[in-house]
Amino acid sequence: MNPTGEGAAADDRHALLDHRHDDHSHDDHDHDHGHDHAHGTGRFALGPWSLLLPIFAALLLRNRIGWFEGETVRLWATLFVSVCVQAVPFLVLGVVISGLIAAFVSPDLVERFVPKRPLFAVPSAGLAGMALPGCECGSVPIAGRLVSAGTPPAAALTFLLAAPAINPVVLISTAVAFPGEGRLVLARFLASLIAAMAVGSWWARRNDESLLAQLRHEHEHEGSRWSEFIDVAARDLVHAGGYLVLGAMAAATLQLIVPRSALDVVADNELLSILMFAALAILLSICSEADAFVAAGLPQFSLTSRLVFLVVGPVIDLKLVAMHAGVFGRRFAAIFAPVTLLVAVASAVVIGQVLL
Amino acid sequence: MNRLGRGAIMMCLGVVLGRLLWTGGFGWFVQQRMRWPLILATIMLLFLGGIECFRAINEERDAPDTATRSVAPSIGWMLILPLVVLLSVAPTGLGAAAADRVDAYVPTQQNNPFEPLPETGLVEMRVFDFLDRAVWDEERSLEDRVVRLEGLVVNDPAIPDGFRLTRFSVSCCAADGIPLQVALRNTGAPLENDTWVTADVVWIPPAVPYIETEGEWIIEAEARSLEIAPAGVPNDPYESPY
Repeated sequence: MNPTGEGAAADDRHALLDHRHDDHSHDDHDHDHGHDHAHGTGRFALGPWSLLLPIFAALLLRNRIGWFEGETVRLWATLFVSVCVQAVPFLVLGVVISGLIAAFVSPDLVERFVPKRPLFAVPSAGLAGMALPGCECGSVPIAGRLVSAGTPPAAALTFLLAAPAINPVVLISTAVAFPGEGRLVLARFLASLIAAMAVGSWWARRNDESLLAQLRHEHEHEGSRWSEFIDVAARDLVHAGGYLVLGAMAAATLQLIVPRSALDVVADNELLSILMFAALAILLSICSEADAFVAAGLPQFSLTSRLVFLVVGPVIDLKLVAMHAGVFGRRFAAIFAPVTLLVAVASAVVIGQVLL
Repeated sequence: MNRLGRGAIMMCLGVVLGRLLWTGGFGWFVQQRMRWPLILATIMLLFLGGIECFRAINEERDAPDTATRSVAPSIGWMLILPLVVLLSVAPTGLGAAAADRVDAYVPTQQNNPFEPLPETGLVEMRVFDFLDRAVWDEERSLEDRVVRLEGLVVNDPAIPDGFRLTRFSVSCCAADGIPLQVALRNTGAPLENDTWVTADVVWIPPAVPYIETEGEWIIEAEARSLEIAPAGVPNDPYESPY
């Protein structure tokens, strides 16, 4: 259960993304040649019986240790479980789509339908983000599979950032949270879309494929398309889900450490409140469908600083950094997270100045 | 993590969600409208997990040496943690501990004109609407009306003869909960924090209009009668801001 070794991290990425579909073998069903070569057979793989140990431990500890009855621990548990429960349906939707991409979208198909030039690919990927209703957890495995299916990374990353921020569900909930502030909804839409496209263009210009090279790992798949679909969906779910749990733990912890009621101190200073809202968006890791209600509950702050919260939250927060590191690799996350943060803050501030 | 492990952990997660749905316990963690997405996700998890277990068992029979292969990264075992936490800590949702940490809801939206209340009798109302009407209603429709509110007890030393009747507004999951609070006076014998009550209350109009008050607005009401919820907690513990 130790996810921290560097080797393990590299292995994880292979596990998620080495499944590039090969068109020639889909009708050949063969169990003897397994579906996966990324993990050596020599490595000891834990079986389901290891699940029993933590469950027994939990049952034994229940009602025996007073610490578990403490209200802070209970609140932490409530926050942790609720972030997980909330994310699971979106994660499942995400891995179903990523499984379908892996099984049915061949690189030829991508070549035909996704524009090659970033000038066209990036904006269309941004607008395509409008079609995925839900919040951010689901779009991570989808973007990973898009890259391994041959989509230009710049377009896949634009989609990754745009989808959770500009889909109709999020925009409607923003409108409900801020009645009579239609311009804020428009500002959120524009600032998020611009930020997503800016990061995508930056990646296209950077033109460094080495960071995401492992996603393109060629792999001959044997088995039917449906068997590949199930394999990929199951693997992405367990993989991205593991990182999601890690992120949920971090988010629950920081919700307790950073009380929202301590914010008033900086309300008078615009610069400070912008910085604070950017930090809050990252630390609280609130779902993109819900963040508007939290922002609406802090009326002592300017609309621009709250717009920063709404634009940063869906593209970068603790649970997303954990998931990016898992799916795309740690080196990628270490570069991607700060750039995305800066671009999102800048975009929100500029749009806020113009529109609000 | 081998294939059987991967199948088992998905089944596990499916069973946990299924149980939360069955008992209604999911309402402590997420908004009620997540019910259907959760049901679909549970079905999908059990389906995927079941197929994986089935394939793993077949694999073990046909080719025992490949069955122990690792097919998923070990980070996946983290998915057992929600179950472990549910079993060991038994979290009970947002309550007084959460209310003390987060700023209470401030009614900022002027929703005038408000819908007229029924001419006579007791009015049941969400705490959310009570606060909105108290602050913004130009017709002062709450004046002298008995309103039934449901919420939990959060004791406050500043209210010696009562407590803060608190309900949380949750739009997605408990992590975005915002406390809705009415300072309830004259409630009789002290109650423990987090006791669920149904209270018939009458709004106490402020001496100075709220919007002219510096600092925190305290919306006060006087309890006419108070009943401790017999079932312990309501089915739907949170209000939705929609």
